[in-house]
Amino acid sequence: GSELYRELENGRIARLLMKLGTVNERQEFDGDRAWSENGERYMLKLFRDYVFHQVDGNGNPVLDMGHMLRCLNRLDAGTEEKICLNSRDEQTSFVVSYKELKKQLANAFSELQKSCKSG
Amino acid sequence: MDGDWDEVARIPFPPPGVHALPTPVTTMTFDNSQELLWTGNDYGRVTSFLGTEMQRYTSFKAHSAADGPVRQILVNEKGVLALGAKDVHMALRRGLPLWHIRHDDIIDLRCMSFTSKGTAEIIVAGLQDTMLVIDLNKGEVVKQIATEHQYSIMKRGRYICAATKSGIVNLLDPVSFAVVKSWNAHSALINDMDAQHDFIVTCGYSLRQGQTYMLDPFLNVFDIKQMSSMPPIPFPAGAAYVRMHPRMLTTSIVVSQSGQIHVVDLMNPNTSNVRQANVMSYLSMFEIAPSGEAIALTDADCCIHLWGSPSKLHFVDLATPIEFATADDHAPQLEWGPETPLNSVGLPFYREILASAWPDLVSDVGAPPVRFDPEFLAGLKAADFGSYGRNTRGLRRNQAEDTRNTHRGGNTGLKAPKFLSEKAREFVISDSRVSDDETD
Repeated sequence: GSELYRELENGRIARLLMKLGTVNERQEFDGDRAWSENGERYMLKLFRDYVFHQVDGNGNPVLDMGHMLRCLNRLDAGTEEKICLNSRDEQTSFVVSYKELKKQLANAFSELQKSCKSG
Repeated sequence: MDGDWDEVARIPFPPPGVHALPTPVTTMTFDNSQELLWTGNDYGRVTSFLGTEMQRYTSFKAHSAADGPVRQILVNEKGVLALGAKDVHMALRRGLPLWHIRHDDIIDLRCMSFTSKGTAEIIVAGLQDTMLVIDLNKGEVVKQIATEHQYSIMKRGRYICAATKSGIVNLLDPVSFAVVKSWNAHSALINDMDAQHDFIVTCGYSLRQGQTYMLDPFLNVFDIKQMSSMPPIPFPAGAAYVRMHPRMLTTSIVVSQSGQIHVVDLMNPNTSNVRQANVMSYLSMFEIAPSGEAIALTDADCCIHLWGSPSKLHFVDLATPIEFATADDHAPQLEWGPETPLNSVGLPFYREILASAWPDLVSDVGAPPVRFDPEFLAGLKAADFGSYGRNTRGLRRNQAEDTRNTHRGGNTGLKAPKFLSEKAREFVISDSRVSDDETD
């Protein structure tokens, strides 16, 4: 029973990662305003950095699976919790909820699905 | 302005980049529901500052740097609006974009104002012959209006007061946008204007000796009830900026470029309260908070000065709490080993479909691998990390291939169906045969 639950959980995380992987940094979106710095999809890029590119006070990478899973789980459920997302140049800061990020991911993914031949 | 008013904070306005030189504030406005001051910079960026300490809150790009400065900022209950020469951008106070408008009839916008529909609609205008009406809930242009006048400043009082580049203020009907009255406020141009309650107040320039622009040493006042101008109020230091006091209906605050601040009752101009802001250069902008308990001044050294009574300073009377990032609940530190299951970190409570839910898409998982053309492989250069060369395959980068059909070969006639593993094995064998042939 717990083994099955464990595999279900792994599958869920894998599917979420696949969704994030399919939408982020696609060449087709180059020059698309929605993904630019004033676009609504920009948050998904910054979220990717927030989850996977965490650093410590000296700028060294932090590879904390607990952090990654907590973030991914909150995105999966779309909780009301808010996080502060900062751009790489520190110029842009947004306060955004997981619920809003989940909606952005769904929009971006469904846009891909619409232009996909089997979708 | 109480006797204990003083400068309570002075912050440098953030430069546009880590190693960039500071630039001036291009526009600013106090929020009407939160303790925030909204500012725009020369590169299309909007940044908010929080409370008495002027701590940086959110910051976002309203439009690209190539489209120039943020011209004006307005706030309503839903969020914050930023006007650029070519774009209108609306975002949540937390920074997330709500909508963005670029339109063929937008050429060079300079100003905007709420209309008769409360804060659900704006009109935008500028150095162009069309004004556009925008529905803020939909984020759409709903009407275009031809105009004979080009406007640089707009303020919503009883009418939409719109200043032209030639010193005239037009009073526009907030429903039809027709010019109800034209008031010739200054002989050359208008530098600043405010409209509230029954008054329009302006600071402006005159052309002296036909060649130099000089700030007029008076404040001009228009009485909306009487529909006529009132006697100018003298301000010998040169009136540069003016705001009506939001609470004291006949009081205005006038500021000179050198930092002289006069609080004047329009009905009794002889009794004015005078203060001096400490500026090394000259002042470039002035705003008053909706509470009347704070003012912000910007200077040519790119600083923002906040003034008010140190004990009572606030921007709005009943401020809505600021939304910050949720404090992390200090999750227990897990010892991650290769065997630690991913479900050691639990999924939060949820009601709706999870983001990980995969749609009903047909996926091909058993197709044989892609076979490369021997000529293509032969053209590659070998290296430690693999082989490399130009993509001469006639396919796009990462193009999906239907390997079930391309490798079917020229066989005709029926054959017993094969397992995928058998097919894959055959395919690998045929591939190696091809390369063997080549080496022969």
